[in-house]
Amino acid sequence: MSRMSVIAKVWIEEDCITCDACQDICPEVFQLTDETSQIVAAVRVDGQFDRNTGGSLLKANFGEEFAEYIEEAAEACPVEIIKFEVAGGAAPAVEAAAPVAEVAPVAEAVTVSAGTSDALAAVFAGDRALTILFGSQTGNAAGLAEKTAKLAANYELNANVVDMEGYNPASLVGAKRVLIITSTWGEGEMPDNAEDFWQGVNSSSPALAGVTYSVCAIGDSSYDEYCKAGIDWDEKFSALGGTSIQEIQLCDVDFDEPWSQWVNSVLPRIACVDGAGAFQESLVEEMIAYGAGGDDSVSSGDFTPGTVSMAEISVSIELFRYCPSAAESGWDNISCSIPAHATVEDLLIAIQQDVDGSLAFRRGTTGGTPTTGIFVNGRIVLADLARISDVIDSKGTLKIEPAPGLPIIRDLIVDLSGYEAARARAEPWMRADPREGARLLNGAAVGTMDASSATKLHQKSDILSYQLVQSMSDTSIYDKSYEGPGVHLQQWLRAEDPRCGEEQRKNIISSLNETDGVWAEADLSSIARYGSDGKLAARGLNEARAHLLNTSDYSGKHGRLVKWYGRSVKWTGNVNETTLYRQVLGPLGLVSNIFNGVSARMVLGFTRNGGPPIRGIQGLLMPPAGVGKIPNMINSKVDAHHEVVSLFNEIDKRF
Amino acid sequence: MAKVAYYPGNTARAASMEVEDCIVPLCKTLGIDLVEIPKASSDGGNIISQASTKLQHSLVARNLALAEQKGIDIMTTCATSHSIMCETADTLAADSIYASQLNNLIARTSGIEYSGESKSRHLLHYLVEEIGLDKIRDAVVNPINLNVAGYYGSNMQREGACGGDDIFLPSYLEQLITALGGVPIDFELKCQSVGAPSLLTLEGTAMAMTAAVLCDAKQSGADMMVSACTISHSNLDSYQSRAGKLTGKDTAMPVVHLAEIVAFALGHFPDRFAQLRTRSLLIGS
Repeated sequence: MSRMSVIAKVWIEEDCITCDACQDICPEVFQLTDETSQIVAAVRVDGQFDRNTGGSLLKANFGEEFAEYIEEAAEACPVEIIKFEVAGGAAPAVEAAAPVAEVAPVAEAVTVSAGTSDALAAVFAGDRALTILFGSQTGNAAGLAEKTAKLAANYELNANVVDMEGYNPASLVGAKRVLIITSTWGEGEMPDNAEDFWQGVNSSSPALAGVTYSVCAIGDSSYDEYCKAGIDWDEKFSALGGTSIQEIQLCDVDFDEPWSQWVNSVLPRIACVDGAGAFQESLVEEMIAYGAGGDDSVSSGDFTPGTVSMAEISVSIELFRYCPSAAESGWDNISCSIPAHATVEDLLIAIQQDVDGSLAFRRGTTGGTPTTGIFVNGRIVLADLARISDVIDSKGTLKIEPAPGLPIIRDLIVDLSGYEAARARAEPWMRADPREGARLLNGAAVGTMDASSATKLHQKSDILSYQLVQSMSDTSIYDKSYEGPGVHLQQWLRAEDPRCGEEQRKNIISSLNETDGVWAEADLSSIARYGSDGKLAARGLNEARAHLLNTSDYSGKHGRLVKWYGRSVKWTGNVNETTLYRQVLGPLGLVSNIFNGVSARMVLGFTRNGGPPIRGIQGLLMPPAGVGKIPNMINSKVDAHHEVVSLFNEIDKRF
Repeated sequence: MAKVAYYPGNTARAASMEVEDCIVPLCKTLGIDLVEIPKASSDGGNIISQASTKLQHSLVARNLALAEQKGIDIMTTCATSHSIMCETADTLAADSIYASQLNNLIARTSGIEYSGESKSRHLLHYLVEEIGLDKIRDAVVNPINLNVAGYYGSNMQREGACGGDDIFLPSYLEQLITALGGVPIDFELKCQSVGAPSLLTLEGTAMAMTAAVLCDAKQSGADMMVSACTISHSNLDSYQSRAGKLTGKDTAMPVVHLAEIVAFALGHFPDRFAQLRTRSLLIGS
């Protein structure tokens, strides 16, 4: 049997005959009870005393110190029930627990260039897996990890980029080469995606004696705890027995250059770690030359997107179902495991293939197909773009429903015909007026939009799916005549397009100002909450409203509301609701609450939870905008009110 | 003692005096030192922004600058105001040229500037994240002992405005209700808008949205509702009978503001709390 470096864990299976052999060989690890041999608590990470069928790791020093004796005890066991798992490689002649599959890149055949030495060829012939773990708050570390993976191919390494979120600390035990790229968050804290992993490593203390590693830390030197997360990882790996192949690289906010130095140095070195985990230092120079290559296949740093792998997670799914023929709806409950980086569409496809072939949903053609809108855990997302890890809740559940605000055809498929019909009526497509073309001096035709306008228009219209925007309004299901924000946004963006014909622009503005136009949206904040598309849409629709108000001289209820809201703030610094009621609803509208029950509810003390009775009396005397507010409304002004007036006068004198 | 600048929002010192009544004793009990910013004006309520986003941003930036002058954050009881302040701070942080323009204006008119240091905190987030549920639980004198539906609304449930809570599946209100001795009732529409900005202009739609929220909470088993949004509270409370009448839905349910329910549980206004219990358990409205 070959000498093994470290035992990661050892356990006793059933049917021990209590022969004492193991305890005689290694009493530090094995101890007999009346019924069975057990693994002693002192050597285990979990501190328990039992057969260790749960697979607790051995503390780092014990796994190394007693490796030989554990092997010997296993061989000596007459009923062969002592099992163990080796750190940094598969255990011979034992049925070790399967290594965690999250980062198990398949060893690929490597074609070695001619002229490579036998020694280097031998290194290339072994396992070439490289695990690149990233801890990233804003995406910078994730980007560097992907770039590092691309460059690793130059050294015949099979790199696997792994998000620390969800990564199992036990998986480190089987890895030979690990690179860590991490940012530091706040005052020396781990990035959010690394926190659980960090805690996991600290609590389980996996034995890393077979792991060769290096750390690239990103930070901001203006903070006291500069690059602390990376330093913590470096120290932790070292404390757990890992071998640092290169000193930690600290990168300030301009991280590209130091990262580049680190990666160009560390990759050839870690590439010289052979399949057995031994560092072949004499091959470094040759490896550097090999990586530099000189042939066209070497990656020079102009990167295509890499692939991020995440661990498989267990998911409990609540899936909305609707059968149109039976007119019945309900929920399916499904549990399964799926990689966290899979999309919701991947999950639905898996359910369709393995659980219920009748499940209906729209499949995308590429990531981000506009019609794949779906409602998952309260989020409106595109099924072929949203990753499971981005939408799953803390309990591991996914509630999947059709996109809201639209009729359901079957299961998760919504009827977009209403949206399309409204769009057809709105005619948001380009209808330019005839005009003469313009040419440069060299005769080349130029567009009719200057660069600045084009940029602005692009920024405003950078929407992934107008169908999705259509679903974002909380209003649309309560107002069937409302054409919807997705349609109106397209109209407004067309009106903003300088290439749009004057007649079309006029028609669009008129259409937006109708009762089913942009004013039909009761609350733009319900749209703004749905990610970047929602923010852009709410901003665009607000701009449309501003344009309509400015061109209509604040007429109509909406115009009067905005005008008098602004005026009351300018006059006092506060909002005067009584003024608003009077001006927006008119004198009769002002007293309407007396008759519709609103004032009655206030006066009788059923609202405002029984405030001082004087408020009710005030409400009777000065109805009806709200009990108790009248004196404040009339009299109160904020301190230094002239400053507010000045602000209004500086920015907008219309009020 | 934790120190924050108090921003009551647009209505807490007018139509929603119940919030103003409760916030002071509540904070005193929990050791929160409220600092007045008497120069602070309305934030525009997302209404002024429909005419001029820049004007609304400048009003809000001035308010934030006033708090910044005192070296503290702002705490508000209104989800709409909180959302507006967060949006303004985010916009200025993302666009330094625009921030510089606004700061020039504010400096010219008020002699102050907003650097981005002071941030807005909603009362809910402040209680859960800064004060802590354990401390609140320990301070409870009159446990709520009712089935309470927590209403968040749509304003502060967006990126950058909901603290450490989940944007789409929030739970802070439920955690707080539990700490106050109540039974939180989860309901589908707790983040849906009630159309408060359009109450005067789209009454039918706003009433339908209000009725849907109340009806959903009631059908989910709630005895009463607590609102984290001052302006939505008005729709949900004062207008609930109107909403029920227009839609034919069962909307009758006591609705109180977050500041009220916390103050009641901490032992303030026991007469009003008794009245609330009577309304919740006997009258149902």
